[in-house]
Amino acid sequence: MLAYFLRRILLTIPTFVALMFATFVAIRLVPGDPVEVRVGEHGISPERLAEFRHELGLDLPVWKQFLAYVWQLLHGDFGTSVATQQKVLSEFLTLFPATLELSFFAMMLALLIGVPAGAVAAVKRGSYFDQALMSVATIGYSMPIFWWGLLLIMFVAVNLGLTPVSGRIDLIRFYFEPVTGFMTVDALLSGQDGAFLDALHHLVLPAIVLGTVPLAVVARMTRSSMLEVLSEDYVRTARAKGLSPTRVFGLHALRNALLPVVTVIGLSISGLLAGAVLTETIFSWPGVGKWLIDSISRRDYPALQGGVMLVSMVVITVNVIVDLLYGVINPRIRHGR
Amino acid sequence: MGADLTTALAPDDDVAIAVLAAPTPFAAFWAAFRENRGAVFGLSILALVVAMALLANLIAPHSPIEQFRDAVKTPPVWEAGGSWKFILGTDGAGRDMLSRLIFGARVSLFIGVSVMSVSFVIGVLLGLVSAMSGSIADVVITRVMDLIMAVPSLVLAILVVAILGPSLTNTIVAVTIVYLPRYVRLMRASALGELNKDYVTAARVAGVNLLRLMFVTILPNCLAPLIVQAALGVSDAILEAAALGFLGLGAQPPTPEWGSMLADSREFIRSNPWIVTFPGLAILVTVVAINLTGDGLRDALDPKMRRS
Repeated sequence: MLAYFLRRILLTIPTFVALMFATFVAIRLVPGDPVEVRVGEHGISPERLAEFRHELGLDLPVWKQFLAYVWQLLHGDFGTSVATQQKVLSEFLTLFPATLELSFFAMMLALLIGVPAGAVAAVKRGSYFDQALMSVATIGYSMPIFWWGLLLIMFVAVNLGLTPVSGRIDLIRFYFEPVTGFMTVDALLSGQDGAFLDALHHLVLPAIVLGTVPLAVVARMTRSSMLEVLSEDYVRTARAKGLSPTRVFGLHALRNALLPVVTVIGLSISGLLAGAVLTETIFSWPGVGKWLIDSISRRDYPALQGGVMLVSMVVITVNVIVDLLYGVINPRIRHGR
Repeated sequence: MGADLTTALAPDDDVAIAVLAAPTPFAAFWAAFRENRGAVFGLSILALVVAMALLANLIAPHSPIEQFRDAVKTPPVWEAGGSWKFILGTDGAGRDMLSRLIFGARVSLFIGVSVMSVSFVIGVLLGLVSAMSGSIADVVITRVMDLIMAVPSLVLAILVVAILGPSLTNTIVAVTIVYLPRYVRLMRASALGELNKDYVTAARVAGVNLLRLMFVTILPNCLAPLIVQAALGVSDAILEAAALGFLGLGAQPPTPEWGSMLADSREFIRSNPWIVTFPGLAILVTVVAINLTGDGLRDALDPKMRRS
């Protein structure tokens, strides 16, 4: 067990090294000189330019620059944003809770609807409910979510006026210092009347948009994995014993059917973060995804470089954790290898 | 007759190819595919979209980039103020929506098919090399693919476009890189599964050279899951490219790409909803059609992966 854990963790080290190398190379391939961006259009004397280059370490040989880069990363220094002069890591840490909160609610939506719906569809295989759910899931899976977001804004927010169009909370009515960075939690902590509900209200549409694809995936996955389990001997035995359908399906079948679903959740973290880029852009949600897009339009390459690095590190780490958890839930994995 | 006889008597691979090309497997496949109503429906829609793309020059009422300055933001024909000249209305620059959508089918399908073919070919090559060599090449290829998978797809595509600059070609390059690992991993895994089977050992003992072993002996037996992946890969590529277009990082205006048609459509949400509605609907319908077809392909070709 411990050996399995260690091996799995050690295997990520080469990936991290490759990631550092890749982001290092990628940023050097980007057109446009970072110094010129920082200088702006006013021009600058050659001496000052050389000074800037020295300050940014751009006058060193490339391999030294790479070693310096790795050294910085190992000390938690992910560079400084050209646009805001802030440390990339601290910007990321300020914005990441917003993305995390959005992703969490999107995933909750996907699980709370997807798992029961998929399980019922499997039990009532071939029924109208099953067919309808699978059709809806195919559409959800194929949805261009940026368009879906625009449609929902158009109908729900603008035409019906049911939800806000953008942002995380009504800044005119509520103001409080961020404590955790999670707007819903902070709103509760602030004790201001209605703040929590307002934060939830702002979350509804973005969470639906970001949760649509995972919802379709979870529903399909739960259904097919449940179908597989339902044909197993122990389910037949449980039925033959005369156990109630709730007990057979809920306790015996669903619990085992959820194993592959756990992997799917792990794998969707990467997809969630990709979806967050679009969702946050549409809803002006101040998270990591919107920040990356803004960094591109501002040609803020240090922020882009550090941001991609940090986002990838999150994905790699989550995947390792999911693998380890899977090893805990499913003994066949850890003993098999 | 003499020629036929030699073909029939030629050993191994020629026979294998002849069997593959025989009509029976296709008939069997078609029979299985036809059973799936959703797949047939998807394929019909897909055929329509393909026809639309191929015949765009003939059926589009206007040029996709001509700006009718006196007809900016004309609503669709069924709304007040619409006209039969612009059946689905015009966009913010006075370009005919219907013509842009029709030509957009060409752009999107072109992106989808190019991404799929390039990543399929490179993926199969890398996957086979990786599986067969089992040495440093294997480690390097697997690590690089792990790395690509660690970066969220859209973030990686954005990074690639930031380096290369936004354009249609670079969109294809970016999305190809993003989807390469799927093919490599699938190919590697299926090839590893085949390598220990008796027929491969037999071929090796018979002294078949490496290239022949890779492409003639092993590859055909791994094709089914790859074809399914390729079909579903087309729709993913279309979605990904449309997302890049929407962010302003894909095909640049005035190219009638469905995603980039939505790029600056936010301002029209209140006043001109049709400008927002149609391009996304086109993406959705096409992607659903391809996914239904892909699901049908999977059920028909690859019973092991059947979603029951």
